[in-house]
Amino acid sequence: MVSAKLKIVNGEGLHMRPASVMSKAMTPFQSSIKIKFNGKEYDAKSVMMLMSACIKQGAEIEVVCDGPDEKDALKAATDLINNGLGD
Amino acid sequence: MYEGIAASRGIGIGAVCRIEEHDLTFDMHQVEDVAAEKQRLHDAVKRFKEETTEMAEDVRKRIGPKEAAILEGHLEMISDPAMVGEMDKMIDSRQCAEAAATAVCDMFINMFSSMSDELMNQRAADVRDIKTSILKLLLGIEDIDISKVAPGTVLVARDLTPSMTSQIVKENVAGIITEIGGKTSHSAILARALEIPAVLSVPGILDQVHDKDTAIIDGTEGQVFINPEGDVLSTYIRKREDYIRKQGELRKFYGKDTVTADGKKLELFCNIGTPKDAKKAMECDGEGIGLFRSEFLFMNSSHLPSEDEQFEAYKEAVETMQGRAVIIRTLDIGGDKDIPYLHLKKEDNPFLGFRAVRYCLKNADAYKVQLRAIMRASAFGKVKIMLPLVTVVDEIRAAKALVADIAKDLEAEDIDFDRNIEVGCMIETASASLIADKLAKESAFFSIGTNDLTQYTMSVDRGNPHVAYLYSAFQPSVLRSIRNIIKAANEAGIPVGMCGEAAADPLMIPLLIAFGLDEYSVNPVLVLTARCIISKWSVEEAKALADKVMELDTEKEIVDLLKASAKEL
Repeated sequence: MVSAKLKIVNGEGLHMRPASVMSKAMTPFQSSIKIKFNGKEYDAKSVMMLMSACIKQGAEIEVVCDGPDEKDALKAATDLINNGLGD
Repeated sequence: MYEGIAASRGIGIGAVCRIEEHDLTFDMHQVEDVAAEKQRLHDAVKRFKEETTEMAEDVRKRIGPKEAAILEGHLEMISDPAMVGEMDKMIDSRQCAEAAATAVCDMFINMFSSMSDELMNQRAADVRDIKTSILKLLLGIEDIDISKVAPGTVLVARDLTPSMTSQIVKENVAGIITEIGGKTSHSAILARALEIPAVLSVPGILDQVHDKDTAIIDGTEGQVFINPEGDVLSTYIRKREDYIRKQGELRKFYGKDTVTADGKKLELFCNIGTPKDAKKAMECDGEGIGLFRSEFLFMNSSHLPSEDEQFEAYKEAVETMQGRAVIIRTLDIGGDKDIPYLHLKKEDNPFLGFRAVRYCLKNADAYKVQLRAIMRASAFGKVKIMLPLVTVVDEIRAAKALVADIAKDLEAEDIDFDRNIEVGCMIETASASLIADKLAKESAFFSIGTNDLTQYTMSVDRGNPHVAYLYSAFQPSVLRSIRNIIKAANEAGIPVGMCGEAAADPLMIPLLIAFGLDEYSVNPVLVLTARCIISKWSVEEAKALADKVMELDTEKEIVDLLKASAKEL
């Protein structure tokens, strides 16, 4: 299991579009990918769960990946979030 | 008579067709065959996806991509593993498909609507739509097929969902009445796009009408009559004929030059906010774009749009206009227009603060990206650059210096652009008006923005109901200011336009003709109206009226005289 603490930089936070970018990019990985925020865990492959987390700009989150391709998954998630989720 | 929001102009008369909310109750029962029940759910989801895809495609073609995006969002949500996956789990515990779909959708609806966030509340509405559609499919409830309603139907609904709106056949629907929704709601946008009269937000109207009732809709005034008595019906039949006749009269001005009664040729341009609007300007017979607000690029994005993104958008508008002038106003933010990712500081006096050209010149690197994108687009037609909120001569000089720098870069990189691209000022501050003669020496053109000019000249916030009565472009001070600006431009030999709401105002037009305005930039739908009004006035007649108007002391006296002198359309 690998994890990284990150900060959400894009202005809208995790709204429909960024959440959709995130879930689409994470779906191909075999590992489970969770986002920890406010003491709860959300499935990063689910646009609905990501939106329900109501993560705003500036929020500090932790990405936790577990599985055969966990390192690649974490790198992909980190790059994506640091670059403002495709925005 | 019922009153609501006037959402789409025109008079509609027809027979009511109520669109009822369906009864979506179902029997909760224990499922025996879990696999079959899952199949039932998956079949419903599959059909939902097929129908939604088809509708999105249709809406995209008939109305536009922004409307289609709502439906595409629904597709994305239902495709989420958390949706059908969770529903399957509930069926595993022997719940029926209806119960499973309801429980999972309700969970998300509650989650999204409990957030104090407008966007998330909209997502809750999306999930509610999905839930309704899936339940209807599971229960075998057929929607009223709006595409099959008889000609002369008035649709009365609580709200029009995207799926209903995509079925409307323009020829058969005489009007639309809903209980909820505002001017910018889905229903309103669609009604205007299809030119169907609509009155929205009429409380409780569904319970007040029966199928086949006669309904009159005045989409211009926001009024609805059900089973009208006395001569109301005949009055409105006349009104409708009048409206249609006027529209017909106006069509005669299609494809014609814009000329005064005595043959002075003027220019009639359009104000637009997106590249797509340029198409509308062409359809409405606009002779150019007098104001292309570039904010949309920045506001509908969560990052600073790149040079290429901007270039593509400007180029699209420029190519659509086929060589007709396109005046692009550079970024006009601050004031009431915020762009979150720019992290503008809250100001005590935003309208007097760090906004528009002031902000852009201080952030020259980002500004150059926009200017460069505009200049690259100038290779594809006739493009002009307009600076918003100019107050001092230094601002236009500084902007022109940036343009000259970029021109050198583009030359060096061998990128094509219009070497004679014009840079002009929007005149909308008291200062710019008072030094219009000086600005005219540096500007290739002027465009008067009457909304801000009125606000700044009158020192009045029109959003403040206590002082809004002072907000009028017909105040003697504002009229003097407009006259002086036009005079300065005329004397300097540069073209002067107006891109505020006033340019299409039948009362203002004779004054503008008298003052010597060259270019009138209006909302595309008002092109033919403005052309018609201009054709009724000779310069001499307009001047005689303007002379009298400028002698008057109060706004009321001025408006009264202009109304008394107005020409029949």
